[in-house]
Amino acid sequence: MKEDYTLEIIADNNFSILNRIVNVLNRRRVRIKKLVAHELEDDYRRGGALLLLYTTPELIEKVRLQLEKLIEVESAVYCRGGAEYFDARASGSPVLALGDRRVLEF
Amino acid sequence: MVTTKWQQEVSEPTDTKIPGAEVLLRCLVAEQVQHIFGYPGGAIMPVYDALYHYAGQLTHLLVRHEQGAIHAAQGYARASGKTGVVFATSGPGATNLVTGLADAMIDSTPLVCITGQVFAHLLGTDAFQETDVINTTLPVTKWNVQVTEAKDIAPAVAKAFFIAGSGRPGPVLIDITKNAQNELIHVPVYEPCTSVRTYKPTPPLPTNHIAKAADLINQSQRPYLLAGQGVLLAGASEELKIFSEKTGIPVACTLLGLGSFPTDHPNYVGYLGMHGNYGPNVNTNQCDVLIAIGMRFDDRVTGNVNKYAQQAKVVHIDIDKAEINKIVRTDVAIHADARQALPVLTRLCSKKDHPQWIDSFRRLNEQEFEKVVAKEIADTGTLRMAEVVRLLAELTQGEAIIVTDVGQHQMVTSRYYRFKHPRTSITSGGAGTMGFALPAAIGAKVACPQEPVIAVIGDGGYQMTLQELGTIMQYNIAVKILVLNNNFLGMVRQWQQLFHGKRYSFTEMHNPDFCKIAEAYNIAAAKVTTQHALRPALETMLASTQPFFLEVVVEREENVFPMVPAGAGVAEVILEIPMEETHNT
Repeated sequence: MKEDYTLEIIADNNFSILNRIVNVLNRRRVRIKKLVAHELEDDYRRGGALLLLYTTPELIEKVRLQLEKLIEVESAVYCRGGAEYFDARASGSPVLALGDRRVLEF
Repeated sequence: MVTTKWQQEVSEPTDTKIPGAEVLLRCLVAEQVQHIFGYPGGAIMPVYDALYHYAGQLTHLLVRHEQGAIHAAQGYARASGKTGVVFATSGPGATNLVTGLADAMIDSTPLVCITGQVFAHLLGTDAFQETDVINTTLPVTKWNVQVTEAKDIAPAVAKAFFIAGSGRPGPVLIDITKNAQNELIHVPVYEPCTSVRTYKPTPPLPTNHIAKAADLINQSQRPYLLAGQGVLLAGASEELKIFSEKTGIPVACTLLGLGSFPTDHPNYVGYLGMHGNYGPNVNTNQCDVLIAIGMRFDDRVTGNVNKYAQQAKVVHIDIDKAEINKIVRTDVAIHADARQALPVLTRLCSKKDHPQWIDSFRRLNEQEFEKVVAKEIADTGTLRMAEVVRLLAELTQGEAIIVTDVGQHQMVTSRYYRFKHPRTSITSGGAGTMGFALPAAIGAKVACPQEPVIAVIGDGGYQMTLQELGTIMQYNIAVKILVLNNNFLGMVRQWQQLFHGKRYSFTEMHNPDFCKIAEAYNIAAAKVTTQHALRPALETMLASTQPFFLEVVVEREENVFPMVPAGAGVAEVILEIPMEETHNT
């Protein structure tokens, strides 16, 4: 069952990293509904990307692991939820740092 | 990293200025690189100019095509365990590497590829031989980077070697603009890279998960172990053997895992996959605990995943966290290096034997012998691939490095050659790259000059990188080339026969005189067309200390069995053409 997920990625702000991130999602045919990318305010060498994705619970976890595998990626976390989370987070609200965050442990 | 004389020299900053191109070479020397496979061109000329003065430290082999360079580097890396190094120029030089990068990426082969690039001020202007190499190679590299200033060359090289060779290995590409190659800078301090902030290649050992796996294994009546290339990459073959011998667990190998466990060991039960042995495939759906080590449940191993080992508890040991639960649901995941995990698991597991369970594999493999092997080695008057490879295994005692291409001959070699040692089977697994074997054999022979290296190739794949005979000639690289010629693209033809009503659409090959071509490159050549001539011809080839080409003309429409048909489960593996298909054909 597909649903909305908000995915937040922190990575070294290297040339082509955004392409690598999008490439992982494209290969698994994950629909990107929104995407905001930015430098971190306190460190221009690091950046963030916030994505609103539409996919299944299984696939969001699989792509998270594949994204974390990218050399430059520091963290990739997601939460279930759609536009309200995404918009709040994109405007600077710390909504994403919430209990609904899903990082599955092996 | 061992400190070498050259590393000490390069690590000492002086007032002397050198071009970025020479910085690159000094870095390679510091990384203890000995061999480079490459092809020069406009945008990498400063590097080649600097290389002219480094003949004593770096041996460069001029190939005939960049694809040959990268496959040779792959063969070198797979045979030696070292990181292969490739040079190519910009534009088409770089794009010619793409197939090899994709192959190395999916088969986890450590490579550092250096490409020249146009001047930085020309980037994005569609300059001559300018290609966006970074974005072109992005999906097929573990990491890539473009360097536009000489000061960034040394850190990029250090990082590249660390990333390529650590964790799950893979190909890395450094694209260096021509101005960076020309720019004069002070000799930099070369600091080998030992960590990258965002990259954690060695996970902590999950001892609690290993304990859970040991509980499952200790309770199991029919445990079954699948060994993949991760065992070889981790250098864990001995640990695997100790584990299997203590627990009595039967071991099967994936295509890339061949050599990780000796085929003459009593616990070895065969080769897995679409054209693997009968027993290992059928018993995948009979085991109660499936232990997968350093393998990724490729679709050629699982067949229809919905019919794959549904009855079993699955223990998956892999260094790549993203592989766990990617294809097959895992009950106990051990995210770890196999060489670290296996000794702990061995300690926690009870000593056991499973003679009846192992016998069940033997009985199934006897069915394979009756229905497949007996026919393949029968004295029929025509040569079949199986008898060629069986005889090759007999004459070499399974002690050669065998490099295969892609297709029927690859599957036959994987079943019939008796691999005994790690890193003796080199093939293109995940990508299935025809044309891989000839250049990869060159690389393997350069890496292991004292070992016999035999490239077993079909007539189709051979003609994809045939030009590398020139490299063999120029450097007198004593590889043995064994072409099994059925004048067909055999595997595609087999599928056309079985699943497309025997419509042989563009699979028949009208081939040239291969011996004359070899002789034109000053390579001794012979051709075999009869069974009685096979043994002496193979003996002559193996006795030669020079490069040698042997063409064996085999049956035109031979099929490879066992076979798991597309969409079928592993237990539905067939040993012959089903009756209805026989009627159809």
